[in-house]
Amino acid sequence: MSSSIILHIEDKANYFGLVLKTKSEGLVLGRPEGSAPGQAGTPSGGPGAKPILLREPCDLCGGETKCAKICPSGCITVVD
Amino acid sequence: MDLANGRVGVIDLGSREVSEQELSEEVIVKEFSCVKVAETLVSEHGNDSLILGTGLLTGSLVPAACAGMVRGRPGEDGTQRISPLLGFAGTELKLTGFDFIVIKGSASEPSYLWIRDGIIELVASPGLRGADAWARTDKIRADQGDRRIQVISTGAWGDAKNPCSQYVVNYWGGEDKHGLGSDLGAKNLVAIAFRGMGELSVADSDTHFVNASRVLKEHRARLGESKGLESYSAVAGREDFRSLLHRNLACFACPFPCRSYLKLFEDPKQMAHEHKEPGYLHYDVPALAKAFSIGLSAREATEAMMLCAREGAEPVAVLSNAHSHGMGGVDGIRKVLVDSPRMSHPASSEYIGSFQQESAFLECIGRGLCPRYWAKAGLQLPSPDL
Repeated sequence: MSSSIILHIEDKANYFGLVLKTKSEGLVLGRPEGSAPGQAGTPSGGPGAKPILLREPCDLCGGETKCAKICPSGCITVVD
Repeated sequence: MDLANGRVGVIDLGSREVSEQELSEEVIVKEFSCVKVAETLVSEHGNDSLILGTGLLTGSLVPAACAGMVRGRPGEDGTQRISPLLGFAGTELKLTGFDFIVIKGSASEPSYLWIRDGIIELVASPGLRGADAWARTDKIRADQGDRRIQVISTGAWGDAKNPCSQYVVNYWGGEDKHGLGSDLGAKNLVAIAFRGMGELSVADSDTHFVNASRVLKEHRARLGESKGLESYSAVAGREDFRSLLHRNLACFACPFPCRSYLKLFEDPKQMAHEHKEPGYLHYDVPALAKAFSIGLSAREATEAMMLCAREGAEPVAVLSNAHSHGMGGVDGIRKVLVDSPRMSHPASSEYIGSFQQESAFLECIGRGLCPRYWAKAGLQLPSPDL
């Protein structure tokens, strides 16, 4: 299994979001208050961002989106 | 090796010698418990070894497979001192390339361990002695250039080897009710930091995915939506607690989170953060219960727990001491933290709701599962073939 999605973490607030590598828009950062381009100097940068930069963009697992299926909190959903 | 690295990292702090030893698949699967493997390592490396470990399922897709463990020197009466590593720390530890870390001896100067990519390094850091736990996490993350580093640290209480210290994971306390912060102090360690960039292999990843998804779906249907800590303990159901609630958040792979983040210094209803230190992450049930029992409000209790986390002090003990000396409110807590009295742990009945007092605590931790979640979900432990 490979993945095109990683956690985004902010200090002290322990504040989470997700960074998704997409084919059309590159990295996209999803946070509770909305989405934004994910690369511009956010805490997702630095060495921690390297794995996702090296990965293939999301292909929705060929139709069976595994990240949405296994997401424990249900915060990842697939929309058209 | 599947679901494990098959490696133990050993460091002797006195000689600074680092070595590795192999952990066979036979041992890992046969024992199916990192607690039992740790006992074997103690018999080999000595009773004063501080051991960090992960279970076979830690980092897998099994719900709430987030747990690692910290094992300190047993108490004088022989009591085991084992506390969980939750949040993302257990998984991150396993992805460093080691299943266990054995820490022997004592460092000649205040230092921290920096573990990543199968490397263990002892970094001298005399400036962090006496710094609070939050400053240690900030400093280590800044120096190593990665905000994803997990940091187990303590503060002045752990440095002073106070029996009522605690270790803090990044910024939050609540796992350690055995005073394991003092074990860091005894080894002259200001922190243990690690970052996991590795991967775990699974023998049959498709079947693992399907089975874990099935368990997850069944649990989510049965448990419904979590209200955070309130879903696990009535102490978090008070109106003043709810009024400060910003959000609930989960440890790795947990579908029913018990962690509630309260904002003190900006509007809890505002989703984004502007304040550098806006609040505190609550999951320490006995500490919250103690704070309310001595008359603190949710705001005061949150502030008290922030202060205790920074100093590496166990809050139930601190709150009990302040109350017994008639020192009320947050100022009383501050005074106890500054005075740092040597005191014995409160009675075990004061720790009801802690991770250690969940049923089958050691069985869950041994496998890498959160004992609080699995007590809630119903303990039908997954078999190794998941």
